[in-house]
Amino acid sequence: MFEARILQGSILKKVLESIKDLVTDANFECTANGFALQAMDSSHVSLVALMLRSTGFDHYRCDRDVTMGMNLLNMSKMLKCADNDDTITMKADDAGDVVTFMFENPKADKISDFQMKLMDIDTEHLGIPDTEYEATVKMSSNEFQRICRDLSSIGDTVTIAVTKDSVKFTTSGDIGEANITCRRTSDGDMKEEKVKTEEDGEKVHNTKSSEGQNVDIDLQEPVTLTFALRYLNSFCKATSLCENVRLQLSKELPVVVQYLIEDMGYVRFYLAPKIEEEDADES
Amino acid sequence: MNTTTTTNKREGDEKDFEEEEDKKRAKKDELEEDELETQETHPWSANEEILEEEVYVQDLGKVSDDVKVVEAEKKSWNRKPLARPIDGQTDSILFQQLDIDYIIGQPHEMLGQERRSKGQAAILRMFGVTEDGHSVCVHVHGFNPYFYCAVPETFTEQHIPAFLMSLNSQMMAHQRSSNSARHFALDAHLILDKQSLMNFQPNGKKGRFLRIIMMLPTQVAQARGILENGIHVDELHQSALTFPTFESNILYTLRFMVDRAVVGGNWLELPAKNYRVRPQQRKASYCQIECDVMFDRFISHAAEGKYSKLAPFRILSVDIECAGRKGFFPDAEQDPVIQIATLVTEQGSDSPIIKAIWTLDTCAPIVGAEVKSFRDERELLRDWGKFMRAVDPDMLIGYNIVNFDFPYLIKRAQTLGVQDFPYWGRIIGKQLTIKDTTFSSKAYGTRESKEITIEGRVQFDMLQAIQRDYKLSSYSLNSVSAHFLGEQKEDVHHSAISELQAGTAETRRRLAVYCLKDAYLPQRLLDKLMYTYNYIEMSRVTGVPLSFLLARGQSIKVMSQLLRKARQRGLIIPARRDRGNGPNAQLEGEVAYEGATVLDAKAGYYELPIATLDFASLYPSIMMAHNLCYCTLVKQHDVADLPPEAYTKAPTGDVFVKSTQFKGILPEILEELLSARKRAKQDLKKATDPLERAVLDGRQLALKISANSVYGFTGATVGQLPCLEISASTTAYGRQMIDHTKKLVEEKYTTANGYEGDAEVIYGDTDSVMIKFNCKELKTSMEYGLEAADYVSATFTKPIKLEFEKCYWPYLLISKKRYAGLLWENSEKWTKMDTKGIETVRRDNCLLVRQVVETCLTKILMDRDIPGAVKYVQNTISDLLMNKLDLSLLVITKGLTKTADEYAVKAAHAELAQRMFLRDPATAPVVGDRVAYVMIKATKNAKGYEKSECPIYAMDNNLPIDHKHYLDNFLTKPLLRLFEPILQNAASVLLSGEHTRSIALPTPSSTLAGGIMRFAKVRPSCVGCRAPITDEKLSKSLCKHCVEDESKHLQKALVTVNELEKDFNRLWTQCQRCQGSLHQDVLCTSRDCPIFYRRRKTQKDLIEATTTLKRFDW
Repeated sequence: MFEARILQGSILKKVLESIKDLVTDANFECTANGFALQAMDSSHVSLVALMLRSTGFDHYRCDRDVTMGMNLLNMSKMLKCADNDDTITMKADDAGDVVTFMFENPKADKISDFQMKLMDIDTEHLGIPDTEYEATVKMSSNEFQRICRDLSSIGDTVTIAVTKDSVKFTTSGDIGEANITCRRTSDGDMKEEKVKTEEDGEKVHNTKSSEGQNVDIDLQEPVTLTFALRYLNSFCKATSLCENVRLQLSKELPVVVQYLIEDMGYVRFYLAPKIEEEDADES
Repeated sequence: MNTTTTTNKREGDEKDFEEEEDKKRAKKDELEEDELETQETHPWSANEEILEEEVYVQDLGKVSDDVKVVEAEKKSWNRKPLARPIDGQTDSILFQQLDIDYIIGQPHEMLGQERRSKGQAAILRMFGVTEDGHSVCVHVHGFNPYFYCAVPETFTEQHIPAFLMSLNSQMMAHQRSSNSARHFALDAHLILDKQSLMNFQPNGKKGRFLRIIMMLPTQVAQARGILENGIHVDELHQSALTFPTFESNILYTLRFMVDRAVVGGNWLELPAKNYRVRPQQRKASYCQIECDVMFDRFISHAAEGKYSKLAPFRILSVDIECAGRKGFFPDAEQDPVIQIATLVTEQGSDSPIIKAIWTLDTCAPIVGAEVKSFRDERELLRDWGKFMRAVDPDMLIGYNIVNFDFPYLIKRAQTLGVQDFPYWGRIIGKQLTIKDTTFSSKAYGTRESKEITIEGRVQFDMLQAIQRDYKLSSYSLNSVSAHFLGEQKEDVHHSAISELQAGTAETRRRLAVYCLKDAYLPQRLLDKLMYTYNYIEMSRVTGVPLSFLLARGQSIKVMSQLLRKARQRGLIIPARRDRGNGPNAQLEGEVAYEGATVLDAKAGYYELPIATLDFASLYPSIMMAHNLCYCTLVKQHDVADLPPEAYTKAPTGDVFVKSTQFKGILPEILEELLSARKRAKQDLKKATDPLERAVLDGRQLALKISANSVYGFTGATVGQLPCLEISASTTAYGRQMIDHTKKLVEEKYTTANGYEGDAEVIYGDTDSVMIKFNCKELKTSMEYGLEAADYVSATFTKPIKLEFEKCYWPYLLISKKRYAGLLWENSEKWTKMDTKGIETVRRDNCLLVRQVVETCLTKILMDRDIPGAVKYVQNTISDLLMNKLDLSLLVITKGLTKTADEYAVKAAHAELAQRMFLRDPATAPVVGDRVAYVMIKATKNAKGYEKSECPIYAMDNNLPIDHKHYLDNFLTKPLLRLFEPILQNAASVLLSGEHTRSIALPTPSSTLAGGIMRFAKVRPSCVGCRAPITDEKLSKSLCKHCVEDESKHLQKALVTVNELEKDFNRLWTQCQRCQGSLHQDVLCTSRDCPIFYRRRKTQKDLIEATTTLKRFDW
């Protein structure tokens, strides 16, 4: 028996909105630790990792590890029927082939019950090994979304260059070129937060201090990498989950774009960098 | 099943090979004994000197030894020598002619002194083979080209000299200085007993014509132009007069054949004392018998009785291999010809008499074939050229020889400067010529090709013939032989060819075996499809030379028959004026008239028997019944002069006289064709000898096709003699008849009239009507059908006849021109499943569609198991989603006709070719290749061309197939079409539901460049339940729940590996057998072969299964 109740139903809705365009069918893994998903997009360029820890749920019960195959489009259709302030409960039997979504409004006078047929998805478990990243940039998620959107009207790819003081986004296309540089605004906050990160492990608090246009950079070594904007734009659908976005970059490694979900977990997007000879291939 | 049949065949072949070898050895021994005696008298060796001016330079060492062997063996290539020399006084020569052409030369001494003084004349040459297989070349003299022109009533005999003078002076003025003929029109006669083919002449009035005899065939067209522009004739008229010409656009050879009643491929006899044999030293050709004859001194035998057989002519089949550079299609200016495989077969015998291969560099011996190795490519080409002349074939066949093999050889020889190479014709010292042509025909479409003139030898390119006669999804030799011969062929990629060539004698032998097989396949296709019989019969029936059949369209065949018939009836055919190239010409070409009628289809699934009434040879019979012809068409202003009972008015308003007044020649031609067909069919029933049956069947087919093309001829606006009044009237009658039939049947067969049900015509198309009599019993329906056919036929003019031949039961009518049904010809047992417009043979479809549609139809119609069909579709879709389908079912192939940049819109296959080139230029498809691809998953909203991927690449890298694309773009439409008449809400039953909820998402392999897979790690999951393995110390293969059953899971993994090994071994040997050697690696990468994909897939699965097995620490 699996049962999980989340008070802020909007979180689940937002999470799903942010990944449903990348992944169509995926297995959700329900364990005692929490509710997780890892899946590649259909073109195998990016990977989504979602973690909603059991502690973040209002109520969580998982007797035996269950894998639930879901079509994310259908799941999103059902979740759209929930109001933003509804409480959402997910339920599934160990051997069942359906998952139930139950929506309760705050006044507790309306209860909706949706059942969705599960899928049997034969796929492998994937993971990106954890590494130390050479550069970590933290910035306003709105700002990041804006940059990606603006640049994608000029070109297909963005080159992200991180230096000690700034992060520079560059693109070029048929109509011209664009450069956006965000300077580092303060260094105290970032460090403070980084300390916290190390202390609490995965559990990171969303600090109020790095609001607005603030850009924090933690750098071991300058990094310059190129990515397809198409995917970054897609990742930005998670903007509403968190005020800040964290980008982690290392030479010849995928970028990690992380949005924290307060008190619950995170959505992480991994995107493979573009390599030179591949350019002709993709365009 | 497939495996075993192919194996047997292959073994059979090997046996043939060996027997062949024994025979050859014996033959060789015999020949070597009397080698010295024959050498002097041999025509071939004598002629060789004339050609071979260059000194034959031979390399030293091993290779030159081989060359010597060649010299010793060449006797066996020649035709059997004549038993004794031909004596013109006592021997008559009987031979089957296969090719006729003409040259311009000095008039023969048999012609009078007067003619000879005037200079050049056209000399016809007829090439053929005697009953004993001796080649014959006959020079025909004295046949002057001529044509007719209409002259006014006032024109009399006395005007002729003035007319000729005027014409000749104009001709002189118009001629280009380069070819200065001194004479043109030689003579003219007033002809008063002929009339024009066009329009009915009331009162049987004859025309007034002048028959003008020209010196040379080319002058005919010239004279025609002058006469049609008008010339001045003294004492006839003050100003210049135009003279409409008749029969002035007839090819000279056809003119000769018509006048002398020679038809393509018939037997000719030169009676003793009527011809002169050419002595050896004056021979112009390599033929064994060569003689001169006057055009009116030989006998042309109609192809009947003993003259219907075929002579044992020699057919040479050829295939070449060239060593291309990586990434480029072979180019004759750079890439050498490395092998030429040649097979010679005598018509009527089952196995080739010569199998030989020319190889560049050494080659290990091949059982049953002669191997000639050369160090120098020039020598190779030169020797092959010699071989061609020695063997003296009558017919050259191959696959795509006209557009690839021959031009390549010729160009290569040119590049290398082998000057004595391009002499393949039968005429000594005459080079072959090659030029580009565009063949355009309504029936066959426009095709660019080369035209190679090889005098005296008929070229028959199997590719062209098959493209003409069959609609296939692919015309590669591989798929054509899979289709007709039921076996796969090894396909070596051209980049692999260069590697084999660069290897050892043993690898070159591999290539040689492959090449020989490619040369053998066209021969086998020729036999299997009975092309020699069918085409020779076709040319006998229509009277055109064999070579016209492939090189020209339908109209020349009708024209030839029309000329022959018109000649008998004293009619002459007006020459069609050349249409200008102005804007009006275009419009004129597109005059449209109403086509055939199609009754609305009442779509649905019919479980009651549906009777089908067909009009037998609809258009020919309409033309016969209503006497539709050029010469029965009455001009509108003549109609008033005719009594009403003398003519009929077609539904279009055109008036034709009845056959009692004047019998049309088109109806007459058709009658002859159809009665000949009936005869042939009767003979076919009686015939027991398989060869005779083949000839007769070929004939009846040729007759049928010819009869049907007559209608088309009258409607071809760009044709030689279009007459839309005829074709429009024909279709108008046809439409009327269909409507009439529908009305009669629906009126008569009603319950009110005591029949079992109310009849309903559910569909009708051009020449058939489908009737639902609404009775349950098949037998009753058949009885009604027979009765109705007779009942309706009685209301039509003879010979129009409605026939009942078949019932469909059950019948699935989808829309017009699309239906399927189980066909019953008797009430006991169904005959076959008949479908129209359903199996999409379109090339851009994958095999899956055809397989699914076919299986569904079988289940629905034959087994009447609709739930079974639904289940089958659901299972197939489920397999597709689960990635369990054989990849070969999903492969789509398209020809790459130009590079990706040249395509206006991005095309999936062209884009893929470009991407593959970036990966590996050596194996990437190039222009001219067929590109095979599958659709793989890509980003959302990706375009089709972004999703195409090479099947092998996709398989090797485990790229997930875009099953949704296959479902939406390929399966949905055909399936819904099929099931909508049967099922309610077909879409939801078939395309969604439980069976679509199990899917597989394979993980691409990590070698794939650019993707996230380079970084992502696959976490081991439990072999038993797929849960991630958390405790590696416990087990590397199983999770903690499954580890209790470890032995069970291990055993399962072991069995999987064993089974895959077995499968793979079977597939591998299958491929080895196909390549004809069991102890060599398989090189074949045939993208048309399902075995190939299965072999690769099994190989990969095996590797994966072995890895899984290794995870158990045992």
